[in-house]
Amino acid sequence: MIEFKQVSFAYNGVGEGKVEDLNFQIQTGECVVFTGESGCGKTTITRLLNGLIPDFFSGKLEGQILVNQEDIGQWELYEIAQKVGSVFQNPKTQFFNTDTDGEIAFGLENMGMAEEKMARRVKQTAETLQIESLLERNIFTLSGGEKQKIAFASVYAMNPEIYLLDEPSSNLDTEAIEELKKHIQILKKQGKTIIIAEHRLYYLGDVADRIFLMEKGEIRHVFSREEFQKMGEKVQKKLGLRALEYQTPVFKEEEKRNCAADLKVCNLSIGYNKAPVLSNINFSARKGDIVAIVGHNGVGKSTFSRTLCGLLKPLGGEVYWKGKKRTEKERLKVSYMVMQDVNYQLFADSVEHECGFGIKNPNLDQIEETLKKLGLYEYKNRHPNTLSGGQKQRVAVAVSMICKKDILIFDEPTSGLDYKSMCGVAKLLKDLANMGKVIFVVTHDFELMELACNRCLRLGEE
Amino acid sequence: MKKVSFDPRTKMLLLVLCVLSTMFAPSLIYELVLVCLIAILCLIAGKYWYATKGVVIYGIIYGITQLSVYQMTGIWQSIFVAFMGLVNKVYPCGFLAGFMISTTKIGEFMAAFGRMHMPKQFMIPFAVMLRYLPVVREDWQYIKDAMRMRDIAPSLKNTFLHPVEIVECLYVPLMMAAANTADELSMASVTRGIENPNPRTCLSKIQFSWKDILVSVVFLGYFVSGVLLERGII
Repeated sequence: MIEFKQVSFAYNGVGEGKVEDLNFQIQTGECVVFTGESGCGKTTITRLLNGLIPDFFSGKLEGQILVNQEDIGQWELYEIAQKVGSVFQNPKTQFFNTDTDGEIAFGLENMGMAEEKMARRVKQTAETLQIESLLERNIFTLSGGEKQKIAFASVYAMNPEIYLLDEPSSNLDTEAIEELKKHIQILKKQGKTIIIAEHRLYYLGDVADRIFLMEKGEIRHVFSREEFQKMGEKVQKKLGLRALEYQTPVFKEEEKRNCAADLKVCNLSIGYNKAPVLSNINFSARKGDIVAIVGHNGVGKSTFSRTLCGLLKPLGGEVYWKGKKRTEKERLKVSYMVMQDVNYQLFADSVEHECGFGIKNPNLDQIEETLKKLGLYEYKNRHPNTLSGGQKQRVAVAVSMICKKDILIFDEPTSGLDYKSMCGVAKLLKDLANMGKVIFVVTHDFELMELACNRCLRLGEE
Repeated sequence: MKKVSFDPRTKMLLLVLCVLSTMFAPSLIYELVLVCLIAILCLIAGKYWYATKGVVIYGIIYGITQLSVYQMTGIWQSIFVAFMGLVNKVYPCGFLAGFMISTTKIGEFMAAFGRMHMPKQFMIPFAVMLRYLPVVREDWQYIKDAMRMRDIAPSLKNTFLHPVEIVECLYVPLMMAAANTADELSMASVTRGIENPNPRTCLSKIQFSWKDILVSVVFLGYFVSGVLLERGII
């Protein structure tokens, strides 16, 4: 049993993510979901439980957290690690070894388990979770979903009593989420306690026993599974929650396309080092289109985006823009990609400098106008790294507008975003489309597709 | 041919011997043979392409060194001879270190350090550093893409024309990414008990065998002969 007794915590220096006077109990074997807007404190709860607070994140901590009547404040981190297993959101930075077997065994090695027993445990873990095909692989060759499975397996191998999952689905496609759900069900059957901090709720409807809705560091409401399932779309939207059920997105488009396509792709085949990843891609798009690019993790969506932008040479086929065939260099001039990790593309020391970066004589009036349009003008002197994720995204968009790019590609712009921020991104995409840009969105987010996209390009399917 | 793998401790010993050998290297030919020895080691371990590349690149360095010694005169000769001398000293060690890192799993390194009773304060940062190396390569790819989209490609021409911008472009996002990665990596490892003071075990067994002894003897012998040659004893 887990018990929070008057627990308050505030991070040093930042107001976001603090929690205040939490009092609740979680029974052994229960599956509890914490949800709420970004910064509501749901991740803080997982950190309080796995000991990262106060050892890794410093701040002001009050109250007591009891696990089976014992105060975990008295335990060392490695002692907590044997009872509480944590899976995080970013599959890229969760593994420590470069080979999958070593990674699954990592926690066991730290515990000092004997070699033979460990080898058996790794095998058994792979069997139970049905990931035998991933054994003896180099982790850098795995897709995001596969990496996440290895991270999960590594925690599972240690056999903790309590599992903490911090936004485990944010980098996964629909199928990988289904498998994650299966894994959660396995844990439930074994009577483990599971705590999940999550925005996406649709896959949790029939596994969660209780859903805690958080707001500004406090628990606003606790739903039972029945209440949650009966909630309905209206209440869900009012509470600012993500969809409760999976909906196949409907694309409004195909209202008579006159053949004046602005962007046309003919027989494109793409890949690295002459090894084709996808071939025979044909489509056309007009200014004002918002095209969703969908496909499984690892099917070649980023290869496609890079080829379209002109960052990568295609293996065959042509790309036409405004009726003329264009080389990679010419495409690079008119296209821009907003990366999933937007930190890679922000270089300067202030928002304003960022907008003029790399331009010989930046037009200051134009920069001012663009920043105002995107609601960034008040931040013009701030360092880009001090902005929130959504604001950074908009800075990257501002750059694309100033560089007069007409083809924009967004790579997973809503991964890990709550309902409100997702709506913000949808609005941004629509505004850009109204300015006459051609927009592509690589995404798994069916709500975003429903809200913003008018067409869909499926990769890897006939 | 079956690939042979060596104990990580052997590889570390070889690296130490290699550093010592280059320090006492009596002649350029001695360095050339050392590079060939390392290449043979790579071949035995099944790293054919790496071995070939290493020898070819050293061949070029060797050629330039010879040229600078015998063909150049005056100030150019002094600059080149000094510079190439340094390259000659460092190259074999880099070649061997690259081999060591690419053939050893992080778990094996940690197990080896554990057996050698290295303190955890040294072991953990070292392992994180090794883990971080491939991440740098990934990050660099993304940053290069981002630069090319802003028309500030990190090409040779641009590096000469706008060195400040290029450096800024590289280090700002790289540092940001590094800080995030380091934090997340540490969180993932402490929540799986890396700080456990009990002795660590290792899934991939590490063990000395006669092959380890053989290569160690060869490298040790080569080092000793180098010292003797340098002192003029043989």
